[in-house]
Amino acid sequence: MLVWFLPNINTRLGKVGRPMRKLLAVLAALCVLAAVPGTASAAEPAAKKVIKIGVTQSVDSMNPFLAVRLVTGSIQRMIYGFLTVPDSKTLQPSPDLAESWTTSPDGLTWTFKIREAKWSDGQPITAADAAWTFNKMMTDDGAKTGNGPAVENFQSVTANGQELTIKLKAPQASMLDNPVPIMPKHVWEKVTDISKYDGEVYPTVGSGPYVAVEHKKDQFVRLEANPDYWRGRPKIDELQIIFYDNPAASIVGLKKGDIDLIGRLNPPDFESLKGDDNIVQWNTQGRRATYLQINHGATTSDDKPIGDGHPALKDPKVRTALHYAIDKQKLVDEVQGGLAKPADGSIIPPLYKDFFWEASGAEKVSFDLAKANKILDDAGYKKGADGVRTMPDGSRKLQFRFSIHTDTPIEDKLAEYLTGWFKEVGIQLTTKRLDSSKFTEETGTTALFDIAISGWSVNPDPEEVLGTHLCSRRPTASGQGGGTESFYCDPTYESLYLQQQKELDRGKRAEIIKKMEERLYSDAPVIALYYPNDLEGYRKDRIASITPIPEDKGLLYGGSGYWPFYTLEAVSKDGETAESGGLGGGVIAGIAAAVVVVLIGGFFVLRRRQGAADERE
Amino acid sequence: MTADTTTAVEALEERPARHGLPRYAATKAGGALLSIAMVIVATFFLFRLLPGDPVRALAQGRNMTPEQLDLERARLGLDKPIPEQFLHFLQQTLSFDLGTSYEYKRPVVDLIGERIGSTLLLTGTALVMAVSLGLWQGARAGWKPGSRFDKVSTAVSLVLWSVPTFWLGLLLLMVFAAGIGPIPGIFPTRGSSSVDKPDGFAGVLDVAQHMVLPCLTLVAVVYAQYLLVMRSSVIDEVGQDYITTARAKGLRDDDVRRRHAVPNALLPTVTLVFMRIGFVVGGAVTVEAIFSWPGLGQLFYEAIRVPDFTLMQGTFLLITVSVIVMNTLADVVYHVLDPRVRSA
Repeated sequence: MLVWFLPNINTRLGKVGRPMRKLLAVLAALCVLAAVPGTASAAEPAAKKVIKIGVTQSVDSMNPFLAVRLVTGSIQRMIYGFLTVPDSKTLQPSPDLAESWTTSPDGLTWTFKIREAKWSDGQPITAADAAWTFNKMMTDDGAKTGNGPAVENFQSVTANGQELTIKLKAPQASMLDNPVPIMPKHVWEKVTDISKYDGEVYPTVGSGPYVAVEHKKDQFVRLEANPDYWRGRPKIDELQIIFYDNPAASIVGLKKGDIDLIGRLNPPDFESLKGDDNIVQWNTQGRRATYLQINHGATTSDDKPIGDGHPALKDPKVRTALHYAIDKQKLVDEVQGGLAKPADGSIIPPLYKDFFWEASGAEKVSFDLAKANKILDDAGYKKGADGVRTMPDGSRKLQFRFSIHTDTPIEDKLAEYLTGWFKEVGIQLTTKRLDSSKFTEETGTTALFDIAISGWSVNPDPEEVLGTHLCSRRPTASGQGGGTESFYCDPTYESLYLQQQKELDRGKRAEIIKKMEERLYSDAPVIALYYPNDLEGYRKDRIASITPIPEDKGLLYGGSGYWPFYTLEAVSKDGETAESGGLGGGVIAGIAAAVVVVLIGGFFVLRRRQGAADERE
Repeated sequence: MTADTTTAVEALEERPARHGLPRYAATKAGGALLSIAMVIVATFFLFRLLPGDPVRALAQGRNMTPEQLDLERARLGLDKPIPEQFLHFLQQTLSFDLGTSYEYKRPVVDLIGERIGSTLLLTGTALVMAVSLGLWQGARAGWKPGSRFDKVSTAVSLVLWSVPTFWLGLLLLMVFAAGIGPIPGIFPTRGSSSVDKPDGFAGVLDVAQHMVLPCLTLVAVVYAQYLLVMRSSVIDEVGQDYITTARAKGLRDDDVRRRHAVPNALLPTVTLVFMRIGFVVGGAVTVEAIFSWPGLGQLFYEAIRVPDFTLMQGTFLLITVSVIVMNTLADVVYHVLDPRVRSA
């Protein structure tokens, strides 16, 4: 606006007032037009059953070989078939694209029978599609980014008609929790460089209940029902995944009806949904465990000490004393607003009934400050005049740092309570707030911490979370992170891990896994605090029914598999009278717009008069 | 004072060895190129000072073996020594290749290209509105300092200026998107368009409707600076002789202000506006985040969280280069507009 009059400044400058006023008028008019709803959303096609899911993360890549984000994983579940899918009731592996399977006695050869179904473009699905997908990941490093670890143990994958044979390097019990979507070979083999391919071709060719038809980056993904889906077409016509950068805005969106469902809420946002008659507050057990990670003498993968952890924490007695000094029920009530379950177990939440372990009897650590004090007294950590204990050799006071993330009120509150209790047992705790990348570095690679907040969302097969406490996951000597969540390296735990890996009997394997949890509980490299509930909200004036996974008190968004979104049923349009904003809103907006116009008009008239009056002075 | 200025200007005009505009512009452009070169170097090292291992961050919440992580590191070129990485970066940048984003696994140029349109639309519109509003109110306020209009408009703009953007944005969202009491929620809660965006004019309206709240937030928190600069420079002009002359000619007060005072008072705002134009490209991180506006600010923010070095470098370079270019342009334009600058 300023540029156009520059070449001819003297003649044009005099007129600057007029164009500016015109401009203001135009902008005002635009605002008014924009404020009138209905004009913008009038083109709604009739009687299409659409459900809108709000998410607070955007899609990173529509190429499943590259994508890593959770939201993308959920979308993949809806548009592609997998070998197996967790059963909607038991969460045990159940047939998906693989109709059935057999295992050789040595557990090294798995044969899957691939279902005779069709890709969304009409081509038949064969074992060759699955074989191509796995082989691509095994042979092309560029295709490993998304799910590389899933094929790490694969020796060879071959196809014969509908029969898929996978030979393993070593037995692997988690074979049936394979997280790799099976891709249509006839479409994807044409891609020359998979590591640079964005997968943005619509409609996608898939074998899941939905077909992706549109992706507007950082805004939304539109999925349409797949009419040829082998289980039968979903009940709704369209599913929209809508991205919000800002969780507060997504809550507003749900209340207003811009979205119909949102998952993964934090307690305050969940509470704010209370009192809205159209919104169902979904509060069930979650898939996450929240724990403290204790720097119990961090080492690198070649067993050299790393970091600056407090020496007292190497002593299991100190760690146990800390455990006794935590009132988990109080944390649940005060920090999580009651929306969690106190953890008497370890890293696997009770949602996974088969694998959940809980301490009982003498082994169970309950809140007992006197006992915590006694343990520390007996171990020779004497209290000084200031009430703070020192090491038995008198070298250092028991002053620990507690590393948490910045801008997380929940963690701040947690730190307050811990500081209070630890003070009672003669331990000084200071809070250290770190931004997330620094936090990850200090607590996962450089070990510059004493105690840190931690947690993990667990899959139906717990192998992944168990793996995060293995010796091999510690950082390398050159100081590069290896994915450890605790710097733990314990021979007992290690051998149990290998055992469970080989154990194909689910019951027996669960027993071994429980022993691993017990080991973590008593040795306390991590101290589980609570299992946060799964908090979600959805509009019952839009969603008629939705089946959680597991069906008994399970999750809607962020669970495993596609059940909730496959079983989703929308409220039929006939029953829907209260379209958001609605006619009433439109009329009010119109009036508001008119008022704005009158005000602006009046203002200009007034200004004219003022000018005239000035002239007369 | 006017007399002094005039003589000074005349003296300058008479100077035989007056710098020509092309030469002046060339000098400025040279300086700008030098700055850009320095920025390129600084960009690389600055971001490597950020804490955090991008590979570890990308693997967060997923169980990846050390071999897997090494593979990722190699893919991103992070396994090479820093000097080698730097040379590679220089080579790429000089051939206008900004590299491939770690997180999105796509060329940074593409990612920027996808988002620059919506960013320019939002921040550009907001700039035009803020400048218009600020200059207009500033001119009126400065014309009669101490008047009720002056007091009210200056006070309002300063209050809005001091309000945290995030708070104001959320407030607007809560009130005008959600609706409170009698106020209906007529504006959308997110994004730059609806999922079922209609075509044609209705589509334009749809985007306009999405733009109202973010635009309003952006304008509200920044227009005070234009207002204040304009106000003080109009106040400077009010006592000038030429204003008295204009009045003596019998011009209406409005005309004196618009045709005589304002054009002369506009100069200081030119620099301000040009500087802001430079920043327009960078988008508005906070506002984009509140309203989920798919722009560059949001992209940059996400990049820092990882840290996604290539994406950060790309967006940062774009922002700094546009600021430098706009500053240089401002210098040159000033040269044209104001003879006094030519001596500098």
